[in-house]
Amino acid sequence: MAATRAGPRAREIFTTLEYGPAPESHACALAWLDTQDRLLGHYVSGKWSKPEHRNSVPCQDPTTGENLASCLQAQAEDVAAAAEAARTAFESWSQLPGAARAQHLTRLAKVIQKHQRLLWTLESLVTGRAVREVRDGDVQLAQQLLHYHAVQAHTQEEALAGWEPMGVIGLILPSTFSFLEMMWRICPALAVGCTVVALVPPASPTPLLLAQLAGELGPFPGIINVISGPASLGPVLASQPGVQKVAFCGALEGGLRLLVQESVWEEAMRRLQARMGRLRCGRGLDGAVDMGARGAAARDLAQRYVREAQSQGAQVFQAGDVPLDSPFYPPTLVSDLPPASPCAQAEVPWPVVVASPFRTAKEALALANGTPRGGSASVWSERLGQALELGYGLRVGTVWINSHGLRDPAVPTGGCKESGSSWHGGPDGLYEYLRPSGTPARLSYLSKNLNYDSFGLVVPSALPAGPETGPTPAPPYGLFVGGRFQAPGARSSRPIQDAFGNLHGYVAEGGAKDIRGAVEAAHQAASSWAGQSPGARRALLWALAAALERRESALASRLERQGVELKAAKAEVELSVRRLRAWGAQAQAQGQTLQLGVLAIVCPDEWPLLAFVSLLAPALAHGNTVVMVPSGACPLLALEVCQDMATLFPAGLVNVVTGDRDHLTRCLALHQDIQALWYFGSAQGSQFVEWASAGNLKPVWVSRGLPRAWEQEAEGAGPELGLRAARTKALWLPMGD
Amino acid sequence: MSTHNQGTELDLSWISKIQVNHPAVLRRAEQIQARRPVKKEWQAAWLLKAVTFIDLTTLSGDDTSSNIQRLCYKAKYPIREDLLKALNMHDKGITTAAVCVYPARVCDAVKALKAVGCNIPVASVATGFPAGQTHLKTRLEEIRLAVEDGATEIDVVINRTLVLTGQWEGSDFIKTSTGKETVNATFPVAIVMLRAIRDFFWKTGNKIGFKPAGGIRSAKDSLAWLSLVKEELGDEWLKPELFRIGASTLLSDIERQIYHHVTGRYAAYHDLPMS
Repeated sequence: MAATRAGPRAREIFTTLEYGPAPESHACALAWLDTQDRLLGHYVSGKWSKPEHRNSVPCQDPTTGENLASCLQAQAEDVAAAAEAARTAFESWSQLPGAARAQHLTRLAKVIQKHQRLLWTLESLVTGRAVREVRDGDVQLAQQLLHYHAVQAHTQEEALAGWEPMGVIGLILPSTFSFLEMMWRICPALAVGCTVVALVPPASPTPLLLAQLAGELGPFPGIINVISGPASLGPVLASQPGVQKVAFCGALEGGLRLLVQESVWEEAMRRLQARMGRLRCGRGLDGAVDMGARGAAARDLAQRYVREAQSQGAQVFQAGDVPLDSPFYPPTLVSDLPPASPCAQAEVPWPVVVASPFRTAKEALALANGTPRGGSASVWSERLGQALELGYGLRVGTVWINSHGLRDPAVPTGGCKESGSSWHGGPDGLYEYLRPSGTPARLSYLSKNLNYDSFGLVVPSALPAGPETGPTPAPPYGLFVGGRFQAPGARSSRPIQDAFGNLHGYVAEGGAKDIRGAVEAAHQAASSWAGQSPGARRALLWALAAALERRESALASRLERQGVELKAAKAEVELSVRRLRAWGAQAQAQGQTLQLGVLAIVCPDEWPLLAFVSLLAPALAHGNTVVMVPSGACPLLALEVCQDMATLFPAGLVNVVTGDRDHLTRCLALHQDIQALWYFGSAQGSQFVEWASAGNLKPVWVSRGLPRAWEQEAEGAGPELGLRAARTKALWLPMGD
Repeated sequence: MSTHNQGTELDLSWISKIQVNHPAVLRRAEQIQARRPVKKEWQAAWLLKAVTFIDLTTLSGDDTSSNIQRLCYKAKYPIREDLLKALNMHDKGITTAAVCVYPARVCDAVKALKAVGCNIPVASVATGFPAGQTHLKTRLEEIRLAVEDGATEIDVVINRTLVLTGQWEGSDFIKTSTGKETVNATFPVAIVMLRAIRDFFWKTGNKIGFKPAGGIRSAKDSLAWLSLVKEELGDEWLKPELFRIGASTLLSDIERQIYHHVTGRYAAYHDLPMS
């Protein structure tokens, strides 16, 4: 009765008890590719588009190298067409009531549920990831994301009353992304009323499938548009009119760093190696494997890394049931890598784990925080208090305690440092795609004439400009750094004119060294300020408010010299005092927030007192220390306030540096150890700030040369200020004994 | 028979230092069934192997020599001959690992096995099964009598009073429970037990066996159990000397799966001999 079989028969398996393959058929994926005649174009405005005269790139199975389809490479016109479609769709999509958008997103989730087998099969086939991971993880989470954000859309009118959707969102994805990464970004964008143009690397069919599923849902075909093309089209996408924001997702290497306390090192390594031995590698579509292959390039990267690590003195352990041929690479454990070696600093590629020992929790924290990466981490300890303390101290976006990799749409996911500063998921994630209602649309303002090398490099010399006049005594001369007034490094000054053409006073000419000193002072004050209770922060802000009240006449007379009428000057002082008190009260009411660190603020020229205070207060209220460049027109107001800060505030909490604004802006923007930069100045300055801050990916907020109504509640003291002054962190602590 | 656990000095610090990350155990347990699916001829082979681990059990109030006899026959011939022939496994001498009965039925079991010419051990539950709340004197006497009657394995019910007050005993095998509780063999419990077995082996070199019992009814379950032991302890433990499954109806479900594999059809109840 039994037919002769080529493979091992029951008899042999009975003895060896090997697992055997559990293959999932990928016929449905191939059938879908056949519907496109194995040539994938772009999906724009609800239709497939296959423009002619385009290059194409093969899409290959990473395990076998077999060609699955060809994918067209877009050109600039295709990007423009997609942006146009998204813009048109935005007009109707954003006007819909939130409940209607919610319905649409729910329907999209159901469509994904109906076609989930096709989705996970295609994704596993093309990326080589274990099908189990995609089936049980990615696809389920994608549906949950849609459902969660549908609810957010539903309640948008009440919950997000003062906010409106930004516009068209451009999304640029790297070659190693998963379609789940795309969903994390698309769902909040769509929920709040934005539309999306996604630029995916060619040879990524899954986003196209997703766009098709969304497009066929009707009646809003243009809300998700996908074009496949090279990353060089990124600037084209960013400069399309109507594209208000470009979300860029960088490539994730996928390896891990493991820090193990010395006392449990042996045990941990033994168990880890035992577990590694049980891992099975194979074709992603095999339901019984733990890991697939990610293509020859990934394999070569891993191999190079391991070889280099070995040459730098590391021990390498490899195990697992892995087919010998390319492109499979076994799970690898690297230990004894000297901390100063290049491999210890570089990103760890998949599927490598680098293990290092540590002695104390403090050392572990220093090791973990000592890289530019700040994505996520997990802490494992039976001592909960210690685990929580480490969790708080780690400079990452997400911390899991006694667990790893848990994700939920309601919990924000993001990072810090060079893992970027954007957040997805949870209520906070929505703000990425919102702006305060009534904000003018962002016009493309990139000036081709801006010379990044020379902007703010040279400080024009300032010469003495006549006698200082005025009845009020001049404020102490110098830069306010580290709690006291100091002379500038350059030992020179600049004159400040009043509204009547007379010399109001001289202020110090600050330079790069002074900025450096100011940032250092701010860092020194940072940890104790962050540890202050909300009540203590409130107390300091209220103390400053009281001091300014006492100083009212001096401040008002300075404002008068700048051409402000006495009545308006008094009103400005009063409003500044009120704002300080309001932010102080909010600091106490909202409890402990997570500070960014050192915040650099370049104040606008107008409203020299009010804007200064309006920016200072939220920054301090959220636990940051600040370096401020006051109004260029009249920095003397700020220096008046510094006199009170000198007596009331801890040293380094607030540092004020006067001088040439462009030069100081340049120094701040290029500084790698500032955690955020707010710039209220010229359009050119804004452009420079955004360009230069990419060095350490610090979040920036620029005015693009547009004026801001500081005296109005919405713009001078609105929730946007508070949101930008703090960051989020997710801490997971599964319960259960 | 495997070497006995020679025992070690009782070191209570081993027990007090144990930490179990319960949520993580639950997560791993959830994944067990999905992680290593076994299909086609692999499944058939694994199921036959699972049969060889079964302690074919009957522990009912109305056990008599007739159903014991049927049980013992089934233990010797667990799968229909023609099905085994189709898989070319008819000459492997596939039997269950043991039969498991109440002490009073040991004699019947020994007689029945002898009659069919099967030399698998007779295991007896003892020591006041299932509650264990009888005097030490009678519990020891039970064991003696069962052994006298011919039982070569004893499933001992530990004195839970002693456990709850921290007084421990040693053994050759650990069993999840009597099988008569409301919650019996679950994966989270099993993971913790298997890790303990592994730790004990790493510390002392002694291999302790594992027996889940109670609630294991489907062939699919048995595959998950085999996979769990294979993943946590390795192939060395996949032997009747170190792994048993206490079950009664499991065998018929396995037989139905084998029937389906061989014929491509689903069997009716009456197609397969009852046990």
